[in-house]
Amino acid sequence: MNTKILCLTRGGEGSYPNQDGAIAIAKERGQDIMFLYISNIEFLDHTAAPKVIDIETELDELGEFMLIMAQERASNAGVTAKTLVRRGFFREVLSDVIEENNFETVILGSSSGDTGIIDEDLLHEVTCEVHQKYEIEFIILFEGNILKTYQVETGAELEQEEGKDD
Amino acid sequence: MNITGIVRSKLFIIALLITLIAVIPGEVLASSQDPDQEGNFVVIGQLLDEQDQPVEEAVVTAVTQDGEQIVAETESLEDGTWRLLLIEVPSGEMQITIEHPRFNPQIVSLKVEELNDLDNIGLYRVGEIILNRDINAGFWAATLIFLGVLLLIAFEKLHSTTAALAGMSVVFIISYVGGVFDPGFFIFSFERGLSYINWEVIFLVMGMMIIVAIIEGTGIFQWMAFQAYRLSRGRNWLLILILIAITAVASALLDNFTTMLLMVPISLQIGLAVGINPLALIIPEILASNVGGISTLVGTPTNIIIGAHAKISFTDFLVNQTPGVIVALIALSAYILFHYRKEFFKESSAISPALYERLEENARLDDPQSLWKSGVVFILVIFGFILGESVHLSPAVPAIIGATALLIWLQPDVHKMIIAVDWTTLVFFMALFVVVGAIQEVGLLGLIATGMASVIGDNLPLGVFMVVFGVGTISVVVANIPLAAAMLPIVDFLTVLIPGADSKVLFYALSMGTAMGGNGTLIGGEANLVTAGITNQTSTPITFKEFLKVGLPVTYITLTIGFLWLLIKF
Repeated sequence: MNTKILCLTRGGEGSYPNQDGAIAIAKERGQDIMFLYISNIEFLDHTAAPKVIDIETELDELGEFMLIMAQERASNAGVTAKTLVRRGFFREVLSDVIEENNFETVILGSSSGDTGIIDEDLLHEVTCEVHQKYEIEFIILFEGNILKTYQVETGAELEQEEGKDD
Repeated sequence: MNITGIVRSKLFIIALLITLIAVIPGEVLASSQDPDQEGNFVVIGQLLDEQDQPVEEAVVTAVTQDGEQIVAETESLEDGTWRLLLIEVPSGEMQITIEHPRFNPQIVSLKVEELNDLDNIGLYRVGEIILNRDINAGFWAATLIFLGVLLLIAFEKLHSTTAALAGMSVVFIISYVGGVFDPGFFIFSFERGLSYINWEVIFLVMGMMIIVAIIEGTGIFQWMAFQAYRLSRGRNWLLILILIAITAVASALLDNFTTMLLMVPISLQIGLAVGINPLALIIPEILASNVGGISTLVGTPTNIIIGAHAKISFTDFLVNQTPGVIVALIALSAYILFHYRKEFFKESSAISPALYERLEENARLDDPQSLWKSGVVFILVIFGFILGESVHLSPAVPAIIGATALLIWLQPDVHKMIIAVDWTTLVFFMALFVVVGAIQEVGLLGLIATGMASVIGDNLPLGVFMVVFGVGTISVVVANIPLAAAMLPIVDFLTVLIPGADSKVLFYALSMGTAMGGNGTLIGGEANLVTAGITNQTSTPITFKEFLKVGLPVTYITLTIGFLWLLIKF
C-alpha cells in the first residue's frame, strides 16, 4: 500500500482548510492520502423518542459523500486520495485503522475554533497515546496550518505558531 | 449479535417482564377488590379530592360511637366509591372514619335517625365526601423525584430511560421503605403505580415504530428530498420551501423525530452540494417537523400521549389542528426566507458528476416492492384510525394490526424486528408515567391546577392563552414529553372547571404549546437534539446560539398563530 498519510475529517465547509492543509502536506511529500470519516451514534443515547431508523447506514452514506468532496479537492490539487468510513469512538477507530494499515503520518484537525467537537484534552491524550504506541508522526492542523507536530525520531512534541506553515 | 443488539434484546425482555408484572397484579387486585363479603346492611358513598377526582385505596371504617368496636371496613375503589357491609345495625350513633396516607383523616357521624333508615331499607347513602390533601413527606419526595428526573434529562447526566427508571425506583423505595418509618412517605403501591401507565400509548407507539421502520427502509423520504433538489434547479428559496413541506407532511404521518433522522443526512449533502450553509436547510426542517407533527395523532410523541389520555381521535387532530398548522408553517417559511435570505438568494454552485451520482445513489428508492406494500398498509392503518373512531376503537389496534400485517407480508427476520422496536423508548414511557403518577397521586398537579384555575376563573380564552404560551415557554427548556404527561391531569381539571372547555380546546392548546415551544432552543425537543447530534458528525454543527436566533422568534410567531387559530376554531 502506497498511502502513507491518514487524515481524519468530518467533511463540510469547516473542514475544507484542514483538508487543503493535509493535501498540501501529501503533495509536498509526494505521497497519497487517505481520508477517514468516523461516525458515532452515541448522541442518540440522550434522546427519548423512538429510534427506529437505521441511522448508522444513513451516516455512512453521509460520510461517503463528505469524503468524495475531500477526494475531489485532492484530485484538483493533483494528489491521489482514498476514502474510508468507519463507525465507533474516535480513540478506538483511530487505533484500529492505524493497526490495519502502514501509515507514517496521521493528520488531525485541532479542536479549537467554532466547529471543533472533540475536547482539547482528549485530543491531546489520544494523540500522545497512539503516537507512542505506533511510533508514527502526528500533525495537528488549525485552519489549514500546522499547529503542532509529534515527531517520530525524537518523540518530541513541537508546538508551532498558529498560521505558520511548516 | 453486536452489543447494541444484546442491549436491545435485554431491554425487550425487561419490557416483557414489566408488561407481565403490570397485568398479573391487575388481576390479583381486581379479585381483591371484590371480596366475598356478607352483610345485610349496606352503607355506600364516594370519596373525592378537591379537584373532584376520585380517591382510591382509602380505608373506610365503621366504628361504634364509643370507637371501641369496628363494625365494618373496606377500601375505596378506582372511581372513589366504597361500600360497607354490616351484619347488623349498631345501637346508638355510628362513626365512619376515612384514612388515606395523602389526605387528612375525616370522620362522618351517622345519627340514630339515619341508622334507622339503614335498618328499615337496608341501604344508606352517605354521598360524596371531599377529602383535603395533606402536604406531607410523600408530597415533597415525589416532587423532588420528578424535578430530579427532569434535571437529569435536561443536563444529559443519564440516559432519559435510565433517569425515568431511577425516578420510578426511588418512588417505590420511598413508598415501601420510608413508608415503614413514616406513613406520610408512602406515595403509592406498586399496583397503583402501574395503573398510571397508559398502555394505549405504549402499544400505539410500538405499532407505529414497526410500520415506520419498514417504510423508512424504502428510502422514500430521501428520494423526495432529492427530487426537491432537482425540481428547484438552483433556486435555493424554492428548495427550502419544498423541503419544509416534505418535512411537515412526513412529520404528520410518521413522527417528527423519525422524520429528522431521515431528512438530516440527505439535506446536509444537498446543502453542501449546492454550496449553501446546510444549516439554512436543516434548522428550518427541525422547526417545520415540530410544527407539522401537531396535525395528527401520530405526528409527535406528545400528541400520542395527549390523544390517548383525552380520547382525541386522528380525525379530531386533523380537523382541529391542521388549518392552524398550515398558517403557522406559512409564517415560519416567510421568516426563514427572510432570516436566511443571503443563503437562499445567492447563486448555487455547480455540482460535480461524481457528487451528483453519489447524491442520487444515496437518495435512491431502496426497495420499491416494500414501498408499495408498506404504502398500502399505511393507508389502511390511517383508514383504521378514522373508521375506528365510530366504534371507539383505540388507535393502538389498527397500528398493531398494520404492523403485524407488514411483518407477515414482508417477513423481515426476528433480529430486524427486535431492532425495529425501540424498547428503550417504551420503557421510558412506562417509567415516566409512573413518576408523573406519583406527583399526581400526592396532589402536586392538583395544587398547580387549583392555582391556575384561580387565575383563569371561567375565562376560556385566558385558559387557552395560559396553556399555549405557558407550556410553550416551559417547553423551550424542559423536555416536552415529561411536560405533556405532567400537564394532562392539570388540563383535565381545567377542562372540567372552565365553561366551554369540554370541547377539549385546552388539550389542543397543550399539543401546540409542547410542540411549538420545543422549537425555542436546541434542547427543547427530541428532534432538535438528534439533528444536532447528526450535524456534529460534520464540521457544520448546530450551535445553541445559532439555533436560538432562528428558533425563538419562530416559536413565538407560531405560538401566536396557534393561539389565534384555537380562539377562532373554538
